[in-house]
Amino acid sequence: MYTHEGEDVFVIDGHTHMWDATEENIKHEGGEQFIQCFYDYHTGFTPEERVRDMDDYRKFTPQEMKEDLFTNHVDMAVYQPTHLHEFYTEGFNTVDDLGQTLYQEHPDRFVLNGRWDPRDGEAGLKELERQKEEYDVRGAKVYTAEWKGDSKGWRLDSEESYEFLEKCVELGIENIHPHKGPTIRPLNKDAFDVGDVDDAATNFPELNFIVEHVGLPRLDDFCWIGTQEPNVYGGIAVAAPMALGRPKKFSEIMGELLFWLGEDRITFGSDYGIWDPDWLIEAVMNTELSDEQVEEFGVQFDLQAKKKVMGENIAELYDIDIEERKKQFRDDAISQEFGLGDSYGAPASADD
Amino acid sequence: MSTTPTEVRTRLDRVTDPELDESIVELDYVDEIEIGSDEVTVRFTLPTAWCSPAFAWMMATDARDELESLPDVETAHVYLRDHMHETEINEGVNERRSFGESFPDADGGVASVRATLDDKARLSRQYAAVETLLDAGVSAEQLCGLTPGDLEIDAEPRADGARAAVYLAGDAFAVTVAARPLDRYLVKAREVGAIEANDDPLFRTPEGGPIDPDQFELVHRRGRLARTNMTGQGGVCDALNESRRRKLDRESTEVVDAD
Repeated sequence: MYTHEGEDVFVIDGHTHMWDATEENIKHEGGEQFIQCFYDYHTGFTPEERVRDMDDYRKFTPQEMKEDLFTNHVDMAVYQPTHLHEFYTEGFNTVDDLGQTLYQEHPDRFVLNGRWDPRDGEAGLKELERQKEEYDVRGAKVYTAEWKGDSKGWRLDSEESYEFLEKCVELGIENIHPHKGPTIRPLNKDAFDVGDVDDAATNFPELNFIVEHVGLPRLDDFCWIGTQEPNVYGGIAVAAPMALGRPKKFSEIMGELLFWLGEDRITFGSDYGIWDPDWLIEAVMNTELSDEQVEEFGVQFDLQAKKKVMGENIAELYDIDIEERKKQFRDDAISQEFGLGDSYGAPASADD
Repeated sequence: MSTTPTEVRTRLDRVTDPELDESIVELDYVDEIEIGSDEVTVRFTLPTAWCSPAFAWMMATDARDELESLPDVETAHVYLRDHMHETEINEGVNERRSFGESFPDADGGVASVRATLDDKARLSRQYAAVETLLDAGVSAEQLCGLTPGDLEIDAEPRADGARAAVYLAGDAFAVTVAARPLDRYLVKAREVGAIEANDDPLFRTPEGGPIDPDQFELVHRRGRLARTNMTGQGGVCDALNESRRRKLDRESTEVVDAD
């Protein structure tokens, strides 16, 4: 658990992966380009003494993930699968990669999300049912820029996509996490459009749409949609590392998000293994808006807002009772393995 | 008399990354400039192999056209390197094909992409211009009533210390401010057709209409948001670009004499 100014901050990392981009798993040039691009994100923002070498970066094992997250201020993690089977023989970071490993041993430490792709048709719907049945998933990551055969992407507001969103409603998969970062598809609409989230959010008020990467490079469109759609949230993975290297830019982005969306609809994500969570959490927690920004935006990024962003908002989305979990984590397997029990309050000092 | 590297750079400086509204020279995208007797070849790399092909296409064709407008350049060749779509882009641009011919699965031309991004740039530049005027004491009410005719900008607006005068209250008095933000805004607003006549409203809503003083605050905040998006994304691209150039050993622009 992270401590800030003497106060405990429960951290739910809203955006994590455990991938395999080893050369033997790559089957298409795109797979190599993809991990190289991730590595540029890694080296571009990571403090020098924490930079991993490329071989280390290509694959994360369950043991590494467990250690890298839970000994680095993270209390719980949301796993966001990214299959990319077009590029990687066994997939990049699949639902079952976590589902069959860490999730089996530590279900209370993770939120395991499913994934779907409307281009998978009937088989995709069946697979979603399987994910629900097997892991009781409450959320799903959707990657609209994923390649599949000749197709270079899809839209969330398409008829096929709506069929899957209806299935999500039916199965109780309430939290949809569309990845809206840069996309390579040369289609004019897809080049910078978050409009498909707008329509989907309007048509599916019973679902929440947590737009990962806050729409950057379309933060403006995203915020404008967010002001009108109460079920649209923003995940700050990829914006977050700027808190360390480009703090002025990060605080401007936070100012905008707090102004347009409010502190209840912003969620933290480290994007592990792109970056390790410890320095990122510290950098975000140490972010202070300048007096000028506070005046201009009329918002605060105070401890209350930070606690919401760091965990409480995701807890709300996934019905996680933070106080209950803290009690549980005093002596769960993870706390035992890494000696973390004290941070969750020794029973003697507990106020229960 | 062949072209000088400085002339080439000055021309390329007019080419912007449409998503960031910043020059490709300033952004350090240019790897190599090769100058021959009547030909120029430019090679460039973007921050990722995945950057939007539509944006890459715009930068490549803009660079080509800017260079070919130099008096001693007959033909310009432009090559994008290390990109998932470099083949389509390089063949299309250098063989003078259209975007649609190069990307048959695109649903629409590059023009609409450009228009959208240009409009965001206009809004972002408007924010900077309006901030300059607000700082100088011009009121929201006055701002909504300004026209291009109320401005008098130094002949060399990009020069250090260049000033612009803004005439208020029926030319009764003028406020002077730095010229650059106003000039940058005007250039873009005219380019996108938001301003055509000298008595048009100077500043516009995101949709392009005149600003009602009651709506001024919201319009200005949306302008700020457009700017935050561009500079924020600029921060991401900048970090990626630095990392990638280090890795590819392309940390400076190389000038080659082809003769």
